[in-house]
Amino acid sequence: MADTHEQWLAQIDAELDGELPLAERAALAKHLATCSHCAGARASHLEVRVALARSAGNPHAFVVPRPSIRAGTLALWVAAALASGVIGGWFASQRWGGPGGGSALEETRGTIVVQ
Amino acid sequence: MGLSSFSSVVLALAALQGPGTRLTYRIRVIEPDAGAQHVLASGAVSGPIDSDMRLTLRTDTAEVEALFQVTPVGDTVSLGGEFFTRRRVGSSRRGLPIWEEDSYRRLIQVTWTDTARIYPFGSRSKAGALWVELVLEREFAGGEARPAESFDLADSTLDFRLEAVVRPRRARVILNLVRGADVSAPRPLDLVPEESPRVVQLVLNGRPTTLVVSLTRPDPALSSRDRALALDADVVCLRVARRDSPEPLGKICGRLNNIARQLPLPTGDTLSATFAWPGPR
Repeated sequence: MADTHEQWLAQIDAELDGELPLAERAALAKHLATCSHCAGARASHLEVRVALARSAGNPHAFVVPRPSIRAGTLALWVAAALASGVIGGWFASQRWGGPGGGSALEETRGTIVVQ
Repeated sequence: MGLSSFSSVVLALAALQGPGTRLTYRIRVIEPDAGAQHVLASGAVSGPIDSDMRLTLRTDTAEVEALFQVTPVGDTVSLGGEFFTRRRVGSSRRGLPIWEEDSYRRLIQVTWTDTARIYPFGSRSKAGALWVELVLEREFAGGEARPAESFDLADSTLDFRLEAVVRPRRARVILNLVRGADVSAPRPLDLVPEESPRVVQLVLNGRPTTLVVSLTRPDPALSSRDRALALDADVVCLRVARRDSPEPLGKICGRLNNIARQLPLPTGDTLSATFAWPGPR
């Protein structure tokens, strides 16, 4: 049973080489489910191996690309969410106002006139 | 202002503030009703020329309290109003009412024959249909200058109140010394605020106690509402000191409402002071 990160990386290499016994593969799978660092390392190892295989002329080597959000897309969505919040708040303030809204203050104040 | 016009103002003020001049605020609360004018309430407040009038008007959504003061200037009169208003502006998320408070001052110049129209909720507000008509009158009424109020409410759903606000020129103070069940003979004094101190001797169980007392005005109220509406107008304070020491033993403040207020003395006795309006002169 591996305890350190380096040992788990060695286990990942052995698993990708098809040299890991069934019981240790099960233990590795259990660990990968909880350790995002090791899961990322395994995906990197796999991508490197696929790239090497493709450069060696194996056309069937293929890996499913990892999902990713591009920074530009993320920034665009954040900006859109902020803008819609500001516009919605401005509209609600104009439509319903806050406490004390309505007529101008001077119109609600008492006045004295001479008849 | 030239010297002659200044002296005429001073003379006019002096003439108006003579002991026989009486000021009356005559009030009508009017609501227009299908072209006609419906009088909801009427009343009058009168007193010496420096009398003020406190007006209170409440609805479900607004409260207006105002203190009106007049300053005669020649043939005209300057009518000032200190307004303190609360308006309901909504409810909190817990369903409790939220009010906004506002205080402001209005000043207008009128002649004695004018009728001033006061829109307590503003002339353009929804409740602005209601107004208060105010007519100022002055008359010469001998020495009688005690404040008086008369009030007639035609619409009982209206929460409306009128009060005369008069700052006492004199106060009747009744002093007693108290120890246990023993009380000295009452010692009535007619005191004028801010005048020089008076020496009083009270005898309890054959033992005389000499005190130096003087009447003062209270410190200005801490709350802006209390100051604006002169809620402490009839409060006076009695400063008590020993005859042989300038250090005061204490101060008793109270309204002129015949309620006894007490001050413990270092001798073990308790000084009881009752403030009241003086009798008519």
